[in-house]
Formats: sequence, structure tokens, C-alpha cells
Amino acid sequence: MSKSIIQVDELGKTFSAGRAQVRALADVSFSIEEGRFVTLVGPSGCGKSTLLQIIAGLVGPTTGEVRIEGERISAPMPDKIGMVFQDPTLLPWKTALANVEFPLDLRGVERTVRRRRCAALLDLVGLREFADHYPHELSGGMRQRVAIARGLAQDPRLILMDEPFAALDEQSRTRMGHDLLDIWEKTGKTVFFITHSLTEAIYLSDRVLVMSPRPGRILESIAIEFPRPRELDIIGSEAFGSIRNRIWHLIAEAQP
Amino acid sequence: MGAALAGYLTFTLMLFGGWELASRLVLVNAELLPPPSEVGAILLRLLQDPRFVADLGLTASEVGVAFIVAAPLAISTGFLLGERLHLAQTFNPIVHFILAVPQSVFLPVFILAFGIGYFEKVLFGITHAYFVILVNSFAAVRSIPIPLVAAARVFGATPTQIYTRIYLPAMLPLILTGLRLGMIFCIIGVLLAEMYASRHGIGRLIFSWGEAYQVPELLAGILLISFLTIVVNEAMRFAELHVGRFNARASTA
Repeated sequence: MSKSIIQVDELGKTFSAGRAQVRALADVSFSIEEGRFVTLVGPSGCGKSTLLQIIAGLVGPTTGEVRIEGERISAPMPDKIGMVFQDPTLLPWKTALANVEFPLDLRGVERTVRRRRCAALLDLVGLREFADHYPHELSGGMRQRVAIARGLAQDPRLILMDEPFAALDEQSRTRMGHDLLDIWEKTGKTVFFITHSLTEAIYLSDRVLVMSPRPGRILESIAIEFPRPRELDIIGSEAFGSIRNRIWHLIAEAQP
Repeated sequence: MGAALAGYLTFTLMLFGGWELASRLVLVNAELLPPPSEVGAILLRLLQDPRFVADLGLTASEVGVAFIVAAPLAISTGFLLGERLHLAQTFNPIVHFILAVPQSVFLPVFILAFGIGYFEKVLFGITHAYFVILVNSFAAVRSIPIPLVAAARVFGATPTQIYTRIYLPAMLPLILTGLRLGMIFCIIGVLLAEMYASRHGIGRLIFSWGEAYQVPELLAGILLISFLTIVVNEAMRFAELHVGRFNARASTA
């Protein structure tokens, strides 16, 4: 049994909006074992992104805590946690390669070292020939690939992904999911992925965490046991359909 | 680029050719519009006249000093208002009221308060440039994509790095637009102040040539100022386009 890399304990988050208090998260607890691909699904506005921002160290929780390898997270931890955002958030004035290098550049990694490592990462995401292109010269899917390579640049233990394929069309989205699994298998990183697409969640993950509408809490953790490497065909299978139905019912029944 | 250049050249040739013809064929009063060949000869003579060059240099120095003082002041005020929105709520309307009023009406007040010397010219240039640069600097801060800042923080950027690596490049295109417009306003302010009341400067000369009916000199001065301001504007616009080419449609990409 592999050890857990990240532990979320009784996490709660309340925002104040003027005089009103909005409870985004209530009592969220779970852990993720090293090397696993775990996805969180839930209805829009259930606090998924808030949870991810807390794990990323961008915002603090109101109650509870998150630990990575035993260390409490209170600020971004670039050497341990990489992130891919919903928008690619590439710097428009930098080339694809320079964008991948950016996290290393921030920490003063020497130019030749970071260039070599980042060129290899661009190769891994299939964009070797586009190293010198600027973000506006790339398609949406390609930009997200650059963002994935950038998320891997500091060789973190954990990659957080906040609905990274939400803005893509159906076909690119499926393709990206497939390629992401390939990258994940090659790098052996732990991935914590957020989506509201049940199909995407089940296809990609070892485990799916189902979140309730606001205030978000974990309704259930469902192990997905399709063998890997997975082919897209499994999406049409009966077993796949029944898991999807089960998650769908969980979310629907939790609606107020 | 090539086509545009050819267009400019054609336009310039037609303008000066038409002007020369109109003047030579006496289609217009040649005393009011002497041919460009004559104006050009005068301009060449003026440029060799040390007193004229001194006047030109004085004006350039007034514009330069006003701009160098106004730009950092205006950029930092705009930045402060952009970062502190509660201040912006109070001060932005005031800035827009001031921008709405033609500043030329204040010139007599400036003269009463500060005389008609170098200092007054510079001050009038500063107040002309300040507000337009400020407004653009404010917009530049507001144009910084927030997700980029969040991403940089996750990747371990320090607060200083966020300013130098995200804020600065993201703000640069609008800052440059502000500086270019500020430069134009600055020149307008200084020339206006010189023409209205002054003992020196190219503005004063142009105005007095007009009063003395020295039309060739007047037109030579106008041509020279037009040429110089176009060069300054185009140089700044070039920098702006060069920096702005990435931000065309990629601000959140």
C-alpha cells in the first residue's frame, strides 16, 4: 500500500460577501496516495475551485488544514505542487518554451539547465516544433499542453488541475485526456484533477471524489478499476455507464 | 510596411507637387502660399542660423523637462489609483473632470502666477501631459490579467517578481500609449504657452512671423514642427506596436 502524499482534514471555508457569510466548503476530508490520479467532481459552484486554491496555498482555509508529505500548506509550495489552471494563463509576451521555463526562471535556475529540461517537457507534451511560438499563435489545446509542461517544470510531487480542458471542444478534450494519461504514466506524478464532466472523471481516474452542492463536502469516494493503459472504448461500456449513473444520482439527490 | 511606405511617399509628393503647382500657376495667392521650394530654402537657411537653433533647442528643452517630470509622476499616480480602488473611486471623477476642461483657458492664470519664463512653459507642459498619462497608467494596472498573477504565485514568484515579471510587461503597452499621447499633449502645452506670451522659443517665432506677415518663414516653422512631432510620434508608436503585438488577443491566454 503506497503512502498518502496529501491529506485534507476537516477543511472548511467561509467567505464574507458584505454582511452575508457564504459557506463554500464544509468539513472536507480525504487523502491521496502517491502516484494516483484522483478526480473531484461536483456541480458548478460547489467549492471545487476553492478547495484547489487552498491546496495550492493561494487562499487559507477557515477551519481544518491540508498537509503535503506531513507539511502543513499555508503558502504556495512550488517545489512540491504544480498547477494547471482553467485558463492556460501563459504569459503572452513569452514563447512556449520560455513559458515552460518561467517557474524555473523565477527560482534562478541556470539558463542552459532549464532550457534543456523544458525542451524535453515540451517534447513530452508533443510540442517540440512549437517551442518558439507565442501563445496567440497556438490553438487552445496546444496552449493547455504548454501549461501542463509548465506545471511539470519544477518536478513537483503533485499536480493540481482545475478543469483544464473545460474550454476545449469535445474532440480535443477527449484527445487531451488520453494524452494526459500518457504523460501521467510516463512521469509517475500524483494528479488531483477537477472537472464537472463525469465521463472525463471516470475515464481518467483511479478514484473519483464526489462533492455535494454548496457548502461542498465529499459525498463519496468511488474507486475506478478499469485496467490501464485505458482505451477510449471503455467509455461506451456497461460498467462505465453504471458508474456514471451512480455518480449522477449521488449529485442529483444531494441538490437542495 | 512597404505598401504603407509607398503610400506615404505618394501622398507627400502629391501634397508638395500640388502646392508647388498651385503657387507657381497663381491658383492661390502666392503671398499667402509661397511655393514649397521657396519655403524649403528658407527652412535650410533658418537651420543654419544659431539664434533659430537656440530657440528650437529651448523649446525642445521645455518639452523634454516637462515630459520627464510628468511621466514618472503620472505613471505612479495611475498605478496607485489602479492598485487602491477606494482611492480611485474618489479621484477618478476629478481626473476626468480636469481632462474635460480645455487647459488652454488656464494659461492666463499660469502667466499671472508664474510669469512668462522657462518655468511657466515647463509647468504648462507638465499639466498637459500629466492627466492623459495618468489615465492610461490606471487602465494599464486594471488590464493585468488576475489569473496570471495567481499562476505566478503558485510557481513561487516573490512579490517583487510579480511586479517585475508580470505587472511591468503586462502594463507596458498601455503605459507606452499614455506616454505617446502625453508627449503630444506636452508639446501642445509648451507651444501654446510660447505663442501666447513669451520672449523665446519656436512657438514665439512662429507667432511673430504670422503677425509680421513673413509667410515663407511662418510656413517653414510650421513644416519643421510638423515634421519633428510626426517623427517623435511615429517612433513612440513603433515601440508601442512592437510591445503590443503579443497582447492582441492573448491577454488571458
